Amino acid sequence: MTSSRRGVLRTLGTALLGALLPSRRANAQTAASKRTLTADGHTPRWGMAIDLDLCTACGGCVVACASENNLPLPDDSTDAAGTGVSWMELVAPRSGEQGVVAELAPMPCMHCDNPPCTKVCPVGATYQNEEGLVVQIWDRCIGCRYCTAACPYSRRYYNWSKPEFPDDLRNLLNPDVATRPEGVVEKCTFCVHRLRKTKENVRREGRLLTDDDVVRLPACAQSCPASAIVFGDLADPTSRVAHAAASPRASRLLEHLGTQPKVYYLSKDRRRSS
Amino acid sequence: MSGEADGREHAATDVLPFGIGRLSKRTVVAALLLLCGLAFGLIAYAQQLLHGDIVSGLRTIGGGGATWGLYIVLDVTFVGFSFAAMLVVVIERLFHVRALQPVTRLAEWIALLSLVMGGMCVLADLGRPLQGLLNLPRYARITSPFFGTFALVIGGYLFATLVQLFLSGRADAAWCLERKPPLPLLHRVWAAGFRGSAGERWRHARVSGWIAVAILPLLVIAHSTLGFIFGIQAGRPGWFSALAAPGFLLLAGVSGVGLLLLVAAGARRWLGLHEALGEATFRWLSNLLLVLTAAFLYLLAVEELTAWYAASTQDFELARERIAGAFALPFWTMVGCFVVAVGALLVEWTRRRVSMPLIVAVALLVNVGAFCKRWLIVVPSQTHGMLLPYGHGSYVPTWVEWGVTLGVLCVGALLLLVVAKLFPLVPVDRTPAPATRPPDALEGGRGVARVVIALSTFAAGSLLLVAGFLWSARYGSDHYVDPPVPFSPVIFIAGVVMTFYAAAVFETIPFTRSVTRATKE
Repeated sequence: MTSSRRGVLRTLGTALLGALLPSRRANAQTAASKRTLTADGHTPRWGMAIDLDLCTACGGCVVACASENNLPLPDDSTDAAGTGVSWMELVAPRSGEQGVVAELAPMPCMHCDNPPCTKVCPVGATYQNEEGLVVQIWDRCIGCRYCTAACPYSRRYYNWSKPEFPDDLRNLLNPDVATRPEGVVEKCTFCVHRLRKTKENVRREGRLLTDDDVVRLPACAQSCPASAIVFGDLADPTSRVAHAAASPRASRLLEHLGTQPKVYYLSKDRRRSS
Repeated sequence: MSGEADGREHAATDVLPFGIGRLSKRTVVAALLLLCGLAFGLIAYAQQLLHGDIVSGLRTIGGGGATWGLYIVLDVTFVGFSFAAMLVVVIERLFHVRALQPVTRLAEWIALLSLVMGGMCVLADLGRPLQGLLNLPRYARITSPFFGTFALVIGGYLFATLVQLFLSGRADAAWCLERKPPLPLLHRVWAAGFRGSAGERWRHARVSGWIAVAILPLLVIAHSTLGFIFGIQAGRPGWFSALAAPGFLLLAGVSGVGLLLLVAAGARRWLGLHEALGEATFRWLSNLLLVLTAAFLYLLAVEELTAWYAASTQDFELARERIAGAFALPFWTMVGCFVVAVGALLVEWTRRRVSMPLIVAVALLVNVGAFCKRWLIVVPSQTHGMLLPYGHGSYVPTWVEWGVTLGVLCVGALLLLVVAKLFPLVPVDRTPAPATRPPDALEGGRGVARVVIALSTFAAGSLLLVAGFLWSARYGSDHYVDPPVPFSPVIFIAGVVMTFYAAAVFETIPFTRSVTRATKE
């Protein structure tokens, strides 16, 4: 019983200290507990590799992303032209010029290591988390659209009107992802909600996070029939995504801007930009 | 039109000059028209609030549109007006330019009202204005040039202008108070115990000099941040340029001095200020406009030459769009306006005379040119400045955006009308300040208290300013989402406010006798 009393005292003392010390200490501690998920305790740097030699441009990733992340259905009326939201989009990079060659390439958010969008956000509604993901606090966004103007990849979308979901689709909304209100900017999160869930499961099972846990984690990667999309920890040299990023076929979009995107494109016809 | 005679004639009598406190039929009609415009603006804004920004002509970049448009162009325009207006005040104070003195009060009002209008444009542009009003004071980050626009321009600089206006207008408010103004309480508050002693005038001359010195760097920094909003975006061809900030300053000078000339000419005609706003004032302003416009043409030439000689592919494409593509009309309109304006002003300068119709035409021309240039800054880089192969877009404002614009303009004009009916738009109390320090300058025993309180306010303000700035920069917080101290941006603005308020403290506190008592004596 004495030990339990000591335990209570220790808990109380820790709580008191925790309340007195700056929040930075508390953040550092939570971060440390997250880090224990990797073998050597390093912080993961999540990234993606898209093999354009495998990609058939079927658009499966686009649909899977929209359904996973509760994107509103596209409105075909002329009034709504240019207001659609598509976190993952098939875009046609010009061959040779941008270091990537393909007729159509899937484009998610690049989750840059030096993101222009987070720098310009006036209220800190978008920021880069410890694991390198560029995330967004929907509720804090004031709708100034500075991030959309700053993103050289045009990967940010503004909700020009209230997102509409037909009644028969309403029950199919993903409960893990909040729907966004009118007037906020949104973008691909690398399915951060799935990542969180996976980490919780792994922690509960008392083991370390493996490459197999995450390699097809985002909805786009999971749905790709050609397995062209690989997700994982770029800081772990043994991961598949790190292997892909180190491939001589790999390049990134607009590397000369210094944004250091974490999405790598693999293509045999790769031309080096700049 | 000049039925309301000049101020000097009335100085001896107890009647207020320039139609202050009198509602002519013309004024009522003008006010009603402006109210109609305001109502239309409110209806348009209600559309935007009800249906979202889809009712505007703005669309996703890369999806065929521009995400910023008319509201941002107008925000830049209005903040530019205030920059130029305060610049004129600073020039008058620092270099003692007597010719500019009559126009300083008008300039101070324009600076204040333009900032209010600029703030309204920013609010109109926000997708969630209420969250903006709450989250900007809570979380504004200095790494975003938007911080400059919000905290420095709309917060700090607005208040600095207010202090400058308040202090320089005290003598006139006291002057009006002696002549039974329509709302005496307003004038009594503004006069803040001004008695017209030599000591007060000496203190004001000193203080206004300090404010001019302090406001100039604030002015330049604040307006530069507006240029940085575009100038530091490496991923947007046409925006990424070291010329953005100085270009913004010069263009603000051009359009703002143009507006000041327009409003001064209007006030001269409709408020009967022919004597008060003499030719010397207009000549000085038009010469200033000549220098600024010529300098801006030089920057424009440098910009275009660089784009045509050695720019990257996308910058070159943009330059082509400007000169012979989708934006040829605004581009050549701008060039035409500026060249004609410089030519006309040069002719006026060589002939050493002032033709009012010509000055009004030139002031209009430079503002049309500046509007086109701002359009060319904001829009093409979004619709045509893509580094990745998204299709070209287009942007045409809808009636909602024009309606809101009309509403904002009407608010500004209406406020100016109200001001013109309550306060003199030109300084009426022109008693010069004593050249040397008079014996009652610090008012005997109160002098020490005055200096101590003013210096303490200044020190406390500076401290808050520095702390608020560092905390807004997330200094002391390992995570840059939240500042270590809540509402740090408000602390920063409070610091700017207190620092400038020290000037008001030095002039007004400790209070002495009230105006009425002084008058009786």
